[in-house]
Amino acid sequence: MQQWWSKIERALARRRNLASELEQEIDAHLEFLIEENLKRGMMPDEARSAARREFGNTAVVQERGYQSWQFPGFESLLQDIRYALRGIMKAPGFPLLVILTLAVGIGANTAIFSFVNAVLLRPLPYPSADRLAILWSGLGYSGRAPFSSFEVFHLRQRSTQFEQIAGIWVTNGALPGDGPAEQVKVADVTSNFLPLLCAQPELGRFFGPDDDLSSAPSTIILTHGVWARRFGSDPSIVGRSIRYGNHRSLVVGVLPADFRLVFPDDASVPLNVEVFESIPVGPWRADGPAFLHVIGRLRNRATLATAQSEMNSAAAQINKLGGRASLDNFSVSVFHFQADTVREVRPTLLCLFAGVGLVLLIGCANIANLLMARARRRLRETTIRAALGASRFRLARQFLTESLLLGVLGGGAALATGYAAIHAILAARPPSFANFDRVPLDLRVLVFTFGIALGISILFGLAPVFSVRSIDLTRDLKESMRQSAGSHRFSLRSPLKSWTSALVSAEVALAFVLLTSTGLLMRTFINILHADPGFRAGHVFTFRVSVPGYAPLRSIQQKLAALPGVQSASAISHLPLDDAGNWYDYYYREGASPAEQNSVMADHRSTLPGYFVAIGATLLEGRDFTDADDARHQHVAIIDDVLARQLWPGQSPIGHKINLSDSPQGFYQFQRDWAIIVGVVHHVQYHSLTAIVRPQIYVPYPLAPRPSMSFVLRTSGAEAGLGTAVRSTIDSVSKDIPTTQVEPMQLLVDRARSESRFASLLATLLSVIALVLATSGIYGVLSYSVAQRTTEIGIRMAIGAPRAQVLRMILADGFAWILPGLLSGFLLCLAVTPLLAHLLFGVQPTNLANYAVMLTGVLIVSAFAAFLPARRAMKIDPLTALRYE
Amino acid sequence: MSTVDNLSDDERLGLLQGTLEVLILRSLKLESNHAYGISQFLQQQSDLEFLVDNGSLYPALQRLLQRKWIAGQWKTSPNGRRARYYSLTPAGRKELLRATSKWERFAVAMAKILAPEG
Repeated sequence: MQQWWSKIERALARRRNLASELEQEIDAHLEFLIEENLKRGMMPDEARSAARREFGNTAVVQERGYQSWQFPGFESLLQDIRYALRGIMKAPGFPLLVILTLAVGIGANTAIFSFVNAVLLRPLPYPSADRLAILWSGLGYSGRAPFSSFEVFHLRQRSTQFEQIAGIWVTNGALPGDGPAEQVKVADVTSNFLPLLCAQPELGRFFGPDDDLSSAPSTIILTHGVWARRFGSDPSIVGRSIRYGNHRSLVVGVLPADFRLVFPDDASVPLNVEVFESIPVGPWRADGPAFLHVIGRLRNRATLATAQSEMNSAAAQINKLGGRASLDNFSVSVFHFQADTVREVRPTLLCLFAGVGLVLLIGCANIANLLMARARRRLRETTIRAALGASRFRLARQFLTESLLLGVLGGGAALATGYAAIHAILAARPPSFANFDRVPLDLRVLVFTFGIALGISILFGLAPVFSVRSIDLTRDLKESMRQSAGSHRFSLRSPLKSWTSALVSAEVALAFVLLTSTGLLMRTFINILHADPGFRAGHVFTFRVSVPGYAPLRSIQQKLAALPGVQSASAISHLPLDDAGNWYDYYYREGASPAEQNSVMADHRSTLPGYFVAIGATLLEGRDFTDADDARHQHVAIIDDVLARQLWPGQSPIGHKINLSDSPQGFYQFQRDWAIIVGVVHHVQYHSLTAIVRPQIYVPYPLAPRPSMSFVLRTSGAEAGLGTAVRSTIDSVSKDIPTTQVEPMQLLVDRARSESRFASLLATLLSVIALVLATSGIYGVLSYSVAQRTTEIGIRMAIGAPRAQVLRMILADGFAWILPGLLSGFLLCLAVTPLLAHLLFGVQPTNLANYAVMLTGVLIVSAFAAFLPARRAMKIDPLTALRYE
Repeated sequence: MSTVDNLSDDERLGLLQGTLEVLILRSLKLESNHAYGISQFLQQQSDLEFLVDNGSLYPALQRLLQRKWIAGQWKTSPNGRRARYYSLTPAGRKELLRATSKWERFAVAMAKILAPEG
């Protein structure tokens, strides 16, 4: 190693010095010889030329002397690279095609793999992320539910497998600090929550047990973002008491800029929480509401299995304590935190990964065909070089260098393409990917990209080497001379041809699989576009407010409804398709057995009168809430048709009693309550446009007051200046009501569609690439074959074959590859498309119309690709063709 | 190639692989010398049996320099010419000793085998 290094060092530093020294030395040598010759009595000129003769070839001596200082292997490698580069510059068409194919094929893989890497392979950005687990509570038929404070307290008491068990609940609140009143996402966390996900705060401290004491002052922790935005990154913020909603809070810490809340999509813990408050956990109310999403860190030797079995017995004990509404089937599920977080996106990602894999395979088939055609074309060069004494090893290295060079260039291009694609995907990603906003090109991605690029180039670089292995100089020189003049060395039966046709068939098959899958995803997207969300989003605008009290809230509602252009105005606690928390609980009808009482959950919503008209939901039966529906009168509820069919199939639920959760005592003072059903409304899609997740129960606001509500404004279409009008309306009630921006409801609908749009968009892109590659494969191979067969075709035509027959012959050649490809593609589809099932909506994987459309599409496109070379063959002039021979 | 030869090139002895380096080291044993001087020395010492090709001599000198067995230094020759004088380094001296004994054993062994029997 050191020897090498000193060699390099010297070679670099003394290279020029060395050359001139050698030259001087040789000069001196010549002078000695001349002097000698002069002494022998020669004339000066004669002496000089004699000396030169005697010395020998000075250039050779110099070069050979010089050479011993260089690295012969390295030098000839450079030579190979120079040669390969010259080849690329001389005929850039072929290498460009290969590099382009690699750039697209591998680039797509780089991009998707980066996501796979960032989402599935890289640990979440938390300390000991691998030991983090998420806990879901289950009651009856529902899994994946949050816990009550009582349950968390008792789980903690009974846990030995967990170091920590912590909970979070996200709601809406006011942005702290002076300045315009603004609504932001606020998380209530147990004091041990943040240390689980963050090594240390940027400033100050985390919450401690003391913050949970009822005597402790109100404390908050800010994210880096809100600290920078609202407080100008003021380093003295910690320890200061600032305005927070309608009271003051002490800032105890600021989280680092890279802190991320990455939670499962259905945990209603969004990424953009800006303020953290601490909430105590205790055994106070056995029937308290379940709202805490719980995570825990396993102890060093604990496993998910030991934790699960411990939680099972803890749940059994908690059942005995009596808890929520005489709950007796409480259970706890423990999942790996990261696995659970990526549960939703994992299948989409893997499908995309498979898709780009197919594109790469098609690209490889193309490259293989290109390289084989080229290796044949270069047979003559290879043979001549072998004849001139190039060793097989030397030739192999030369070929390998060339294809490795292509591989490196292709890999570099792929990296650039991939990088661009990552950013395009990030910009277009659906909300379920929202938590994954960091997709680094890390070492693993680099290894992946260049691994594939170099693997492919080594594989294909060696192909011509194997053909060199079997070189027979005399035969091949003769052959290659003839071949360059356009002979048809490859008949249909030659092994090369069968390889080529197999590759083309494979391309067609893979492209067909991609197209069929894309067809299904596009159909899904169209179905989602037409899916009925249960409300009409057009001309509806929404914003959230912190509720200043029931009377001011109603006053705002009335004033908003009176705004010009506004047809109706109302408010709801949870907007459809919004990610801002959720409120769901158990329900049962009058007379339900205890077993039925805690088996099913419904989304509960608190509304103002007029909500259904404003959002455009259909009231099927009964009436809307009125001002008279308050806590002092008969408690009433409106249910959706899903719940109606479930509890009272075939009859009207109006007038029936339902047990639900409400809080007439105040914010979050939840209790079980009986309400009379006064109306039935058509189901509204709250969580997605495609799935009915839970039935819905609406209660009037006075029965379930909330600190924050979303207003819904239906306008007549004249929406200009609405935001300002809304703000001044609210200011006229009070200048201190935090609100969010006014947004069109359509935005939420579009966001809900974006997952499907994203999947179908990417799939379409991949299919187009696949189709282009496959078609160019068919075209290229057929063109090559026509060029090879020029003479043959010329002869056929000279002896009277009609042009149409030639056309048929070439087309038949093409279809001899295309049809088996389609058939195997169809069979592949039968195996592959069912894997897409969970991404589809309203269309079966085996949809016949889809097959028919894609089959016709591939047939037409590939027929076109085959037709172009066939037409060229048809136009061959027999005279010209034969003149070559 | 030498014009003063009375032996044709074919009749001269080719050098065995690796011998040239040893011979160069030997030529420098007593005094430092330049390339021309070394080739003169070798030809004369071998009674003009060895043809020293410059195309081999120079690379051999470079190799010896690389191995640090000899060192080069520009000096003025007695007749006033500047030339690069090579001299043995301590390592070169050691190598010469090692190589000499090896070659002697080799020569004796060769002679034993090639000697006419009886």
